Amino acid sequence: MVKTIIDAHNVSKTFNPKTVPVHAVQNVHVHIEEGEFVALVGPSGSGKSTLLNMMGGLDEPTAGSVIIDGVEITKLSENKLIDFRLHNIGFVFQSFNLIPVLTAKENVGFVLQLQHVPKMEREKRVLTLLEEVGLKDKINSKPGELSGGQQQRVAVARALASKPKIILADEPTANLDSKSAANLLDIMAKLNKEEKITFLFSTHDQRVIKKARRVITLVDGKVASDVQQTPT
Amino acid sequence: MMLLKLAWLNIWRNKRRTIITATSVFFAVLLAIVFRSLTDGVYDNMIHNVVSYSSGYLQIHQKGYWDEQSIDNTFQEDQQLYQVLLKNSKVTHIMPRLQTFALASYANKTKGVLVLGIDPIKEREVNNLHDKIVAGEYIESVSDNAVVLGEGLAAHLKLKVNDTLILLGQGYHASSAAAKFRVKGLIKLGALELNNNVVYMPIQQSQYMHGAENRLTSVSVMLDKATNLKKLKQSLQESIDSNTYEVMSWKEMIPEMDQFIEADSTAHYIIIGVLYFVISFGLFGTLLMMIFERKHELGILIAIGMKKRLLALVLLLESIMISLLGCFAGVIGGILFIKWFTIYPIHLTGELKEVYEDYGIESIIYFSSHEKIFITQTLVVLIVSILLAFYPGYKVMKLKPVEAINS
Repeated sequence: MVKTIIDAHNVSKTFNPKTVPVHAVQNVHVHIEEGEFVALVGPSGSGKSTLLNMMGGLDEPTAGSVIIDGVEITKLSENKLIDFRLHNIGFVFQSFNLIPVLTAKENVGFVLQLQHVPKMEREKRVLTLLEEVGLKDKINSKPGELSGGQQQRVAVARALASKPKIILADEPTANLDSKSAANLLDIMAKLNKEEKITFLFSTHDQRVIKKARRVITLVDGKVASDVQQTPT
Repeated sequence: MMLLKLAWLNIWRNKRRTIITATSVFFAVLLAIVFRSLTDGVYDNMIHNVVSYSSGYLQIHQKGYWDEQSIDNTFQEDQQLYQVLLKNSKVTHIMPRLQTFALASYANKTKGVLVLGIDPIKEREVNNLHDKIVAGEYIESVSDNAVVLGEGLAAHLKLKVNDTLILLGQGYHASSAAAKFRVKGLIKLGALELNNNVVYMPIQQSQYMHGAENRLTSVSVMLDKATNLKKLKQSLQESIDSNTYEVMSWKEMIPEMDQFIEADSTAHYIIIGVLYFVISFGLFGTLLMMIFERKHELGILIAIGMKKRLLALVLLLESIMISLLGCFAGVIGGILFIKWFTIYPIHLTGELKEVYEDYGIESIIYFSSHEKIFITQTLVVLIVSILLAFYPGYKVMKLKPVEAINS
């Protein structure tokens, strides 16, 4: 039986409710099952990033609830929510967002250190992950010494480090050239297939949309369509 | 360990800013150390000069003597007491004294004087009394039948060396004390009060004159380090018979000097406080820049699972590290500076030298190298950096990850 991993129930988000209200997301119902590879698409300002942030517990909905793997994260305290993210959700952001003073190896290992994973085990996992994303030879390079595509692959390795159930990616290919984007998507698709990690992207990028098996389209903060497709 | 490493790497992101901030801390610490060392050195020198001529750092009396300073409240000279005192490693010298008041007379002049029965050999080891002789000679032994007068007193009585001084006072148990002595020397003392009133006399002569054989009013105690005063007082109180003797420190016996030092120190603390206040703004500005520049990154760290209190701790460590860098450099600079002036102290010259010597204070500026000065400055900087880190820490605790990421 397929398990629902993300359940956004009647979720709304209104910015500036007391002055000039902006309804970024309105009464959205989305269920995402374990192992899905979903693209969240829509024009700029349609509420993709806001919905993604609420699903990742980075932002609080004005109304509704978000349940991840049976836990209603909208009811968790701030500290518990941070802990929940640490153990269950991996994030990949648009502009790489690595810690600039740490090497690729240290960036990936950082999350594991937060989880208090022993050093030996940590190092083994970091090397495996960097090998998986094709950066075994760059483990001691700092972000400034890596290309955009390489940095984004380190970010993916970091997102995977804690063995999350879900990876949320906000426009992960927006700053990449076609070759780097294709390479990144292949890595993600492989991880989704082999490790059953659920991927949810907000994107404009047709290359990402084509790789997705399900495409949810948002328009003016509402779900306009939700279709299954065969990735190409 | 991870947080320490992260904090250390973060402070070097902007090397120039970190160096400028640490340098400002360096100068603040260096100035504060030199300033405190100089003032403490001057105070220590002043205390040593004053107590060596007068009370000693500590004094042992018969219980009740200080409240009623009468010859009847003297105590029997006790070799066992001397042994106990000298056995203490912090005690460097002891000076038995018989201190009384008498009427001094020469020709048609009379004056009330302080008669100090002293052991001339023991006194000269501590206060170089023999070096202050301006006419005649110093008394050589405890039984020498001669006295040395303060130069001011001699001028008042209009007497010279080899003249005969008559002393008339009250002896032990209401006997009368009267004797005449040859004036062997005149002494110039910095303390005007003493210079105008004191008669130094060998202790045995004084005891004989007062009919108080082997009796003392006090035993003055000199110690190895002025900072050991409290500890030594306590240990002496414990080691001698507290039913017979009382132990008093110079602070209790010369409270006006202690109060002067306290008041003067307060003014210095205010100056140092202002210095640190100014430096604090520089450090605070750096910390604010560090948090504003990295707001986006802090948001990312919270998003990937780093607790806000850990982030606040990283900022606190960064603040402490920058401060301590400057502080350690300042302490090392301070140590080198003070070491130099310990080897080559400043010898005052000209009028300033005369002013110092007129007050009976050695005309050399010493710097204190007491470890308390360095520890205090390090602690002050540490506390300032911790306090300053509270605001960035508060900002982190209030940070909303999405707002920070989008900043």
